[in-house]
Amino acid sequence: MIQHRIAHPKRTVRLAVVTAAAAGLLLAACTGPADMEPPNVDVPTPLPAGIDFAPDASPAEPDTSCDPLASYNPAGVTAEQARATLDNPDQISIGISQSTNLMGYYDPVTSRLEGFDIDIARALVEAIMGDETKVKWVPMTSGERESAVNDDRVDMVVRTMSITCDRWENVEFSSEYFRAGQRLLVSKDSGIEGLTDMTAEQQVCTGASSTSVGNIAAVNAEVQPVTVPDFNDCLVLLQQGTVDAVAIDDTILAGMAVQDPTLHIVGEPFSQESYGIAFEKGNTDLARFVNGALAAMIADNTWQTAYDTWLKGPLGVDATAPSTTYRD
Amino acid sequence: MLAALRYTPGQLRGVLAIVAALILGAGITGMTAILAKSAVIEETTSQSGRLSVAALQLYQALSQADATAASSYLTGGTPSEEMNDTYRTAMRDATVAIATAAGEVKTAADTALVAELNARLPVYTGLVETARTFNRLGEPVGATYQEQASTLMRQEMLPSAHDLQENALGQLSESRAGAEAFPWVAAALTVAALGTLIWAQLWLSRKTNRVFNLGLLGATVLLLGFAGWLATASLASASHTTRSHEDGAVPLELLAQAEITAQQARAEESLLLIARGEDQGASDRYEEHITALTGEGSLLDRLDASFADDPELADSIATAREAAETWRSGHDEVVKLAREGNYAEAVAMAVGDEEQSLSTSFDALNSALTEATRTSADRFAEATTDAQRSLSGAAAGLAALALGALICAAVGIQMRVAEYYA
Repeated sequence: MIQHRIAHPKRTVRLAVVTAAAAGLLLAACTGPADMEPPNVDVPTPLPAGIDFAPDASPAEPDTSCDPLASYNPAGVTAEQARATLDNPDQISIGISQSTNLMGYYDPVTSRLEGFDIDIARALVEAIMGDETKVKWVPMTSGERESAVNDDRVDMVVRTMSITCDRWENVEFSSEYFRAGQRLLVSKDSGIEGLTDMTAEQQVCTGASSTSVGNIAAVNAEVQPVTVPDFNDCLVLLQQGTVDAVAIDDTILAGMAVQDPTLHIVGEPFSQESYGIAFEKGNTDLARFVNGALAAMIADNTWQTAYDTWLKGPLGVDATAPSTTYRD
Repeated sequence: MLAALRYTPGQLRGVLAIVAALILGAGITGMTAILAKSAVIEETTSQSGRLSVAALQLYQALSQADATAASSYLTGGTPSEEMNDTYRTAMRDATVAIATAAGEVKTAADTALVAELNARLPVYTGLVETARTFNRLGEPVGATYQEQASTLMRQEMLPSAHDLQENALGQLSESRAGAEAFPWVAAALTVAALGTLIWAQLWLSRKTNRVFNLGLLGATVLLLGFAGWLATASLASASHTTRSHEDGAVPLELLAQAEITAQQARAEESLLLIARGEDQGASDRYEEHITALTGEGSLLDRLDASFADDPELADSIATAREAAETWRSGHDEVVKLAREGNYAEAVAMAVGDEEQSLSTSFDALNSALTEATRTSADRFAEATTDAQRSLSGAAAGLAALALGALICAAVGIQMRVAEYYA
């Protein structure tokens, strides 16, 4: 039997050739109109709407046109006078964020607003209205803040708002109630320890409406800035590996870092963001009363409790309230 | 050959040759026209028909999936069983539609569209699942994942699905034009053959003093039958095809567009709430979609204008309009609640289980549109079957008649020729 099989190798070969030829013919017959080049498809990378990979990155000039931190002296304005400036004397309306973790966030599980800004705002409601429940919370985007106080949509805005000379043109500010600064959020294993460590191949994400791009360029002109309309998208882009770092206010970075144990905040602040409460232009009475209430909050430890509750752990540093200066 | 034409037998053979050629031409062109027509009708119900149905299903399933994923995000990571079912069913429909479309595409552009959609769908579902997980853990970043998923859907996937559908519908209307066209060549050849036959009979009766030539008379009668059948079959199938378009395809397309627009509006409504009311873009896009659905000259207006007198469709369309209006005014209430800081009430009103929740009016709108879609789909199928039936047997019948006419003409003339040699 074995001999018999070996004795006809040629026949086997011939059979194979014929089979191959037949198969070839068959294949050729099958290739009809379906014989198209495989299509070229882009690798699908999910990106947020409005992302800008090449924003204008001229370095920020230090703002020296005014003394932004000098607000109005609280002396002599009573709660009654402050209430008289409200659109509705029985209910104060306050513009806040519902989507900034640790600062102003609506927790769908507890159905409560919470965060550092919210605690400060609640204490102010108590001081002005004498009752913590006489308040209407109005969620808004950062772009709406200035118009909201001037169009009587809200009486004041407590929403991670930096005091600047530009903004002083349009609104009244309280004294500084928190000093934040732009820092970096990076992956723990990235080896990046500050903005100066970043190279021209690396991308750093920041919000489109903030002054971050200029601040980044002033420290590191090589690194590529990427802007998104909503800075929350930066965290997702960092998690997806599309960008290497996020550069925003450390208060906001803290809210991101607590959501992901593989990330941490690094480097020294490379900008100073002095948060203030905004009021309608001309409503200095309310600004004065709030300045007094802020000073009282710092004196009676309310401020410290709020800081320790929300920011101390995530930022990893002890902090005290910024000292206040008044213009008059 | 030319010399032969000087004598009567040669002339007779010449006449036979012309008549035979004309009958043969009419027979062949008539038969192939009818065969081509039924192939085209076959194609509308199968090939490009299947592609356009698959493209439409894909478009619908993707919109539905996104609307459901976005609304179920608002339930805090614990969506109802019904929402989970709807999302999974929509995903199943979308993948089946992609597989079907992949088997039916004929152009490189369509292949690329299907491949793009196929590449993006798993990325989309990945984002949705990440959003769900973070949502369950109570981490706010989940909202951003959900928004990114919807952005991918809105900016890349839905436009591709829409393009695919447009292409398929374009191919379908080309096919329809083919199915409706009258077979002019065959008709002209038939008329020419008839004219030649009649002239040949007059000529022969003058030449031979015999009034009738039975063979040629038979050929004339058969050819008249041929002409009648060709005309009837072509006109009937064209009218059925037109009916399938007007009563079936047109409302189907409008209804599908309405359904998709409603789903997209619903997705934007949810996104607005997911962004805690801090997304003006979502608010604007909701307005755009709902206006396209219910505003001036909107999809529902167009459906109303075309089918208000239609007893079967009018009710569904009226119900859909009523539900859409309720939804729209309810939406304004939701936005108001959210803007005034009553977020929990806004969410409850948008996606809750209560009777006055917007889910109720949205579902009512959807089921009314689905009902009308079913009616239109039945009509489309019926009209297409009628169109096919009007052509059935026509090709074989026409061939038999043409052949018969040819034989009769040959016999009739050959008999006269034979007389000369008798």
